[in-house]
Amino acid sequence: MSSKPSGLLSATFAEPAYDHLVELVHQRDAAAHRRLASLRMTAHDADGREVLALDVDPAREIFDLGAALSERPEERLMVLFDARYDERVFPYRPHQYAYLHPRGATDAPLYYAVNATLGGVPDRIGATNINNVETYVFRPRAFAERYSVMLGNVSRFAAAQAQLIAYYGTERVGHQIELPPKAHVEAMVAADLEGIRLSRVETKAPFRLATYVVGRRAESGHLVLFDHLFTYVK
Amino acid sequence: MLARALLGVRRERTYYLPWITRRGVDCTLLLSNVEARFKEGFTRGPFLATVTQYNARGKTVGRYEVSLHDPTDTVEVSLGDTPGHGFATVASERINSDLYVTLSDGTSYTATHGRHEFVEQYPPWTAAVLATSTALLALVGRTLPAFARDQYVYVGPDSRSHVLLMNLSNVTNRIRVVLTAADGAARRALLRVPPRGAHLLDVGRLTDPASVTTACRLRLEGNAWFNLYLVGAGARDLDGPLSLMHVK
Repeated sequence: MSSKPSGLLSATFAEPAYDHLVELVHQRDAAAHRRLASLRMTAHDADGREVLALDVDPAREIFDLGAALSERPEERLMVLFDARYDERVFPYRPHQYAYLHPRGATDAPLYYAVNATLGGVPDRIGATNINNVETYVFRPRAFAERYSVMLGNVSRFAAAQAQLIAYYGTERVGHQIELPPKAHVEAMVAADLEGIRLSRVETKAPFRLATYVVGRRAESGHLVLFDHLFTYVK
Repeated sequence: MLARALLGVRRERTYYLPWITRRGVDCTLLLSNVEARFKEGFTRGPFLATVTQYNARGKTVGRYEVSLHDPTDTVEVSLGDTPGHGFATVASERINSDLYVTLSDGTSYTATHGRHEFVEQYPPWTAAVLATSTALLALVGRTLPAFARDQYVYVGPDSRSHVLLMNLSNVTNRIRVVLTAADGAARRALLRVPPRGAHLLDVGRLTDPASVTTACRLRLEGNAWFNLYLVGAGARDLDGPLSLMHVK
């Protein structure tokens, strides 16, 4: 990613057999179209290798990520959208959303905000808070779900050592995660610890990573939760 | 801002969350103050809050007093599973964290968070002028476009996104809806949402069935402040599992 102030790098994760439509502009107004100058999409396997790169027509409103990755064999890819926007967009941060649904499933689709990651460059486009120490809270009763956190290092050169901490009442379980550039992982988090329910998770990293908290139906593995975490510093 | 001042409109800071319930779909709010745990003056509880639940007609249908012992404590507020929808406000002096709204079919749950924004209060004379002018405009299918939103909605063979519109004001909000499908066909509707009320816009009624999931453009114009959440529905539409999702 360039260090130009009008650049935005956003990141998501993609799995096979999902309808996955990514909005390239948040609001379909003429001004938003003028501001999107270019967009390049790249997809990376778990080790960080680039397996697909596309220059996306910036006039498009919706990018069909599910279709673009339909031939890929990987279980999970990290997808980066490297955009250039007209400087008039600032200080407002262009925000992308996406629609996600397992094809043919009765589950509800998810609609989520794509991580604005910026590639580890200090945040210069509106969000001035610390955004690399985050948390997420879970419901206290048990569900037939599996939980995890997807983490991806979007930086070009710097490896990242991240901490993922899961809390069970007063107990905490920490995971150390090493991520070379563009590598990513789905770190599983146990739903309970000796009968005590998972209450929250926390991620800490030296700079902004792509981070999503994930919940899956235990039986099918379909996503029921795919959401950003929340910063401690508001 | 000048227009608001001239019209005497006040904006009250409000944290709100949407709610929707169906038979077999339970809606539960999840409250905590975890994001404030490192904030000076917020490390010790109790943290008190009042949750007020409004239904689609804008009537108060629930009020819940909540106390969090410390920043990492969580409290659930069940809004039941009697079919309905609307929004709930959370009033608290010392909660400074995003709060979640969850929908569950009993085996799993989906979640999103609320918004710290505002509710608009119109004085009686402004409300009367608005009521008269928007009633006249409604005769020709229009509204006073004081606020406008653009949003994508999705329609597919086994999933779609409906829209929960929330009237965040104390006046009737006439909201004009224009939905443009991928083929350019446009459908229009004019909604009348009561003060602090809500409307569940069934996108399926405004579009033709689709063989693949496609995005439609939705343009919304209202005479008073409103916001929206998307309601995700799967193959069983509103009778099956649901999700809620905030928009910017």
